[in-house]
Amino acid sequence: MLVRPVAEDFRLIGFYLGRIFLVVAGASLLPLIWAGVAREWHPFGSFLLMVGIFALLGVMGTNLRPEEPRLNWSHGMVVVALTWLLVPLVGAIPLLLSGHFGRPLDAFFDAMSGLTTTGLSLLGDVDHLASSLNFWRHLLQFLGGQGIILAALSIFAGTGGITLYFGEARDERILPSVTSTARFIWAVSVVHLIFGVISLGIIGWLLLGFDLDRALFHGLMTFFAGFDTGGFSPQSTSIGYYHSAVYEAFTSVLMVAGAMSFGLHYALWRGRRRAVFANLETRTILSTFGFTMLLTLIGLATTGLFTTVAGLTRQGFFQILSAHTGTGFATVSSSELSQWGGLAFGGMAIAMALGGMGSSTAGGVKSLRIGLTIKAVVNQIRQVLLPEHAVVGTAYHQSGRKHLTADLTQSVMIVSLLYVALYLLGAGVALAYGIPLQDALFESVSASANVGLSVGVTSPTMPVLLEIVYIAQMWAGRLEFVAVFSLLGFIYASVRGR
Amino acid sequence: MRFVTKVLFTMAILVLGLPASAAREVSVSELVENGREFADEEVVVSGELVGDYGFRADGRMWTQLNSDGYSSDPLRESRSPEGGNVGIGVRMPVDMASGLDSPGGYRERGPLVTMTGVWRFHDEARQGESYFEAAALIVVKDGRQLTQDPNWLTILLGAGLILTSTVVWRRGLRG
Repeated sequence: MLVRPVAEDFRLIGFYLGRIFLVVAGASLLPLIWAGVAREWHPFGSFLLMVGIFALLGVMGTNLRPEEPRLNWSHGMVVVALTWLLVPLVGAIPLLLSGHFGRPLDAFFDAMSGLTTTGLSLLGDVDHLASSLNFWRHLLQFLGGQGIILAALSIFAGTGGITLYFGEARDERILPSVTSTARFIWAVSVVHLIFGVISLGIIGWLLLGFDLDRALFHGLMTFFAGFDTGGFSPQSTSIGYYHSAVYEAFTSVLMVAGAMSFGLHYALWRGRRRAVFANLETRTILSTFGFTMLLTLIGLATTGLFTTVAGLTRQGFFQILSAHTGTGFATVSSSELSQWGGLAFGGMAIAMALGGMGSSTAGGVKSLRIGLTIKAVVNQIRQVLLPEHAVVGTAYHQSGRKHLTADLTQSVMIVSLLYVALYLLGAGVALAYGIPLQDALFESVSASANVGLSVGVTSPTMPVLLEIVYIAQMWAGRLEFVAVFSLLGFIYASVRGR
Repeated sequence: MRFVTKVLFTMAILVLGLPASAAREVSVSELVENGREFADEEVVVSGELVGDYGFRADGRMWTQLNSDGYSSDPLRESRSPEGGNVGIGVRMPVDMASGLDSPGGYRERGPLVTMTGVWRFHDEARQGESYFEAAALIVVKDGRQLTQDPNWLTILLGAGLILTSTVVWRRGLRG
């Protein structure tokens, strides 16, 4: 029997949402300060309004004061799902007021795309966008990639933090407490931020000949979008804008770092290199990257678009790395990407669908699930082939020796199947609007796996229903379903429960 | 506006003798969508220079040429978003770039130019990059400042909400 939530449940959820809004209000001060320093007064007003709304919602929420501020699993999941809906809703205000969007839904689409680190965009004329608004779009990717909840957990611990942590699609606790894990993740990110911005800034200034301030601006934006596998760019031609193999190489390092699980970062920090390569997840992602790269390069070679191996390799490698890490940067146009038929298309689509590692900033099914699925299938085949009483080994290495249990296999299979269903859902809706199958599938996978590469389906003229479906795909894909189902269950219980 | 651009371009060719006889005029979107068709062909393109001027050590300057609704009619003035930008990378000798107004961005509408040059499609020499190699350039229209007034309503609303939040928070503290 479904139990109808009582006022105390709503107070508890509102209280935690309030705390998170206060943290986001604090983060929103950054673009406000940026706009003030850059004397971009029109965006400044929009940011002030956004900060005010976040602050008011935050204060109202924290004033609810539940009798027992202890989150259970269901409450935590509802808080996470609502956070990832409401933050982009309020975060879209400066984007909408900028005048760069035709309809409010488009601004919400971009904010959701930013927060979920997808990178699809409906923004008109990014090349004339205010720097503070560009900063906000990219900061959204940073907040989303790190996890807003994680940001909140770094500041306030509280009971029930573990529920919020897992609700945001993180499945490993690196350090004993959630707060210390959250702080470690932020420490890793800050180190990469310093390395990334300085490296890219120097390249932009010395090699590309940009003014120093612009070089640092590009470096910061590329860092946010690269390390958080987001894929936004301050220029419409994405990373192709820089026309530099060196810039692409450094960006690639950031994309790889972003697609690595924070557990792996921790192992590397502790100098455990051998353990890293023994991990099932590492081996899986290296294998799938190699496989999809091979497919794409063979496919591209047959198209005859590239006349040299160097050109084929550089361009093919960057696009496939961008797709597999779920970043969405490109050095070729959407129009050209849509012409990559056959194997090249297959390679890119598979890479996007598989995604990066678990507990990283990347989206997609995730390598650990792929590795475990393959292991489960192989075990099943071996079980059939071997004598009836033979025992098939179920051990695998992932931050230590573990066993593939029936429960784990089931949960891995379910989430993987849900991703496939999500990919097909978006493709089906696009097909219904007469979009060709290849483009429909590509764009749907790109949205659901939070990649952001586009073959041109995503545009301000796209049907509203398709836009809403893509928004839902980005949201569900980023949260890996559990929090979304919990919210739906909570709403259903509120209406039909007793 | 495109008609005016064409007239100015034709006049400029007559006056300056731009070597355009063998080059066909194409739009940036044609190069983006059917780049292969124009590979290594001499063409004439027009549009707005945007982003940055990257002066490199090899004596070349890189920038971006946009040709979309916004280059002729800035969004801040038309207030009518029409989707994404349509742009290509451009490389030119540094001396050709001297004297150009600032590239287009938030505060500027970049110079509107017409260029003759070669479309390099997945250039072998640059490991597969596509870009336009300019050999001649004419400024059709100088760049200009773009302004945007503060939105006082949002500033007042925002300040009011922050003030309200502070009051509500203080009341909450008192219990």
